Amino acid sequence: MAKVLVIADIKQGVLKGSTAELLSKAKAIGAETAVVAIGSNIESLANDLANAGSDTQYIADDASLELFSAGPYASCVVDAANQFEANLIWFGFSESSKAMAPRVAAQLEAACATEIIDVVLEADQIQVTRPAIANKVMQKVKINTERLVAVVRAGAFEATQGITGTQNVVKLTAPARDLKAVIKELISDASGEIDLADADIVISVGRGAKDQAGIDLVKELAHDLGAGFGSSRAMVDGGFMAHNKQVGQTGKIVAPTLYMAIGISGAIQHLAGMNGSKTILAVNKDPEAPIFNVADYGIVGDLFEVVPILQKELKKIRA
Amino acid sequence: MKILTTAKKVVDVELTIHVENGAIVEDGLQYVINAWDENAVEATVQLKENNGAETTLVSIGGSDNTDMIRKCYAMGIDNAIHIDDPALAKTDSFVFAKVLQKVYEAGEYDLVITGKQAQDTDSGQTAIILAEFLGIACVSNVIAIEVIDDGNIKVSRLGDLGTEILEVVLPAVITVSDSINEPRLPAMRGIMMAKKKKIQVMDLGALGTSYEEVSGGSLKSEVIEFMESEKRQGGQKFEGDAAEITAQVVNLLVNEAKVF
Repeated sequence: MAKVLVIADIKQGVLKGSTAELLSKAKAIGAETAVVAIGSNIESLANDLANAGSDTQYIADDASLELFSAGPYASCVVDAANQFEANLIWFGFSESSKAMAPRVAAQLEAACATEIIDVVLEADQIQVTRPAIANKVMQKVKINTERLVAVVRAGAFEATQGITGTQNVVKLTAPARDLKAVIKELISDASGEIDLADADIVISVGRGAKDQAGIDLVKELAHDLGAGFGSSRAMVDGGFMAHNKQVGQTGKIVAPTLYMAIGISGAIQHLAGMNGSKTILAVNKDPEAPIFNVADYGIVGDLFEVVPILQKELKKIRA
Repeated sequence: MKILTTAKKVVDVELTIHVENGAIVEDGLQYVINAWDENAVEATVQLKENNGAETTLVSIGGSDNTDMIRKCYAMGIDNAIHIDDPALAKTDSFVFAKVLQKVYEAGEYDLVITGKQAQDTDSGQTAIILAEFLGIACVSNVIAIEVIDDGNIKVSRLGDLGTEILEVVLPAVITVSDSINEPRLPAMRGIMMAKKKKIQVMDLGALGTSYEEVSGGSLKSEVIEFMESEKRQGGQKFEGDAAEITAQVVNLLVNEAKVF
C-alpha cells in the first residue's frame, strides 16, 4: 500500500491550504497518510495537521528551526520519511520546497520530480505528469525507484470537503544547525500583505501602469478585494515592485480562482506562472497583446480609466 | 578563488513547440543558452572582475554547444570544459550531478555557480544534488553574492517570507535567480578573442568515469512521453466605451464565471 508523507506548509505559525490538498490526493489514491511539520512553537498545530487529513503527525519543533534552513529542514523530512517508510514524499509548491526536495531525494536515493500535476500508481510503478519548457509541453515521467520525492504544482490537487485524519503525534529530534550556510537575517516582506501563493484572487500589475501612481491605483483594487498583489517582471526590473512579487516561470507560480492581469502584455515567462488560474481577466490598451490569448475576459482599454470603474463596479456587487 | 560555472543549451522557449507521437518535433527548433545559466556566467565574471578569480565553464552536450561556450568566453570566462559523450543522451538530474561531481573533483574549485533551473526541464535539481554528493554548502535562488574573504561568502536568497541573508562557508554551490544581474552583451574584442581560445572537449572516459558509473546502472526517472499542453483559449475580448465594457465584464465574472 502506498504511504504518502506530506510536508506541511506552515507560514508564520499558520498551516496553509496546500497541505490539505496534498493529503486529499493521497487519500484519493488510497494511501496511508502522514505529515511532517517543521518549525518553532508549532506543537499547537497537531490538531490542524490531523484535520487536514493526516493519520500520523511527525513534528520537529525547536527554536533552532524558527527560520527556514534547507539543510536541517531536509534532515527532518528524511527522518520522518524513514520512520514512516514513505514511498511518496510530497511537497507543496514553494521556494523552500524547491530547495529541500532535491536534497531529500539525494539522501533517500530516490527519484525527484518537481512541479508535478498528477501522479499514477499502478502495480508499484509510479508515473507522474509535469509541465516543462515554460508550460509549453507536458511530460509523462516514469519513476524507476521505489520512492519518489515530488514538489506538487500550485493548484494541481483539490482539497476534499470533510476530509478527516487521526491525531497521532511523533516528535522528531531537531537536527544540528547548518554551520556551512548560516541564516543571519530574514528581511521580511511587508507583513500583513496577502500571500500570493494562497490568495483566492491575485491581481498583477505590468508595464502599462508606468509608475508608482499607476501601481498604487491597482494596489488599491487588490486591497479592496483582499487579493494578493503581484507583478510582471518588467515592474520588478524597473525597481517598482519587490522581487518576491514577480509572477512567472522565474518567480511565483499561482493558480487562484481569479487572476487579473492589469497592464501586462503576457510574455511567455509570465504566462507560465499564471495560466493554471481558473479564470483570467486581462486589461490592456493593446488589443493584440498576447495576454488576451489566454484571458477568459479581456478589456481593451487604458488601465488608468478601466481600473477605477472596475473598482466601483466590484464594490457594488460585494456591498 | 576558483569558480566553476555551468551552461546548458536549451530549446528556445519563445518558439512554438509541437508534439507528435509523444515526442517533440525537432524541425524548426532553435537552441540557446539557458537564460539562468547566462545569469550564472555573468555573476561568475563579475566576481572575477571585482575580487579576482579563475573562472571555468563546464557544459554538457553535443558539438553544437561550441557557439554557446565561445559566447561565455567572450563574456569573460577563462577556461572551458565541454563534456560531449553520446551516452549522455539519456540522463536525469542525478546523472548530470554525477558528471559535474567528476569535473569538480578534478579541479579543486571553491565555488560552483549555476542557474536555478534549466528552461527545458524546469526541474531545478542538478546543482542541489551536486552539493549533496559533494557534502558542501548549497544555497538556491540567490540574488546577490558578496565575497567576505577567501573562505566565506555572503549571499541573499529569495525565500518564501522575504529575502534571506546567509553566510556560507566555501566550498559551496550557489544557484542564481535571473534577478541577480543583467547579463552583458560581449564586446567585439571579447568575441574576437573567444574565437582563438581552446575548449577542452572530453568524453566520460577522458573524465575518468563511464556512463555505467554516472548513471548508477539505471536512471532514477525518465521521460516516456511528451504531450502538448492544453492550450488555454482566449475568451471574450471587449472593446469600446470603458464604463460599458467594464460593467459587462463584471457582470460576466459574477454570473458566468461565478468568481464573486
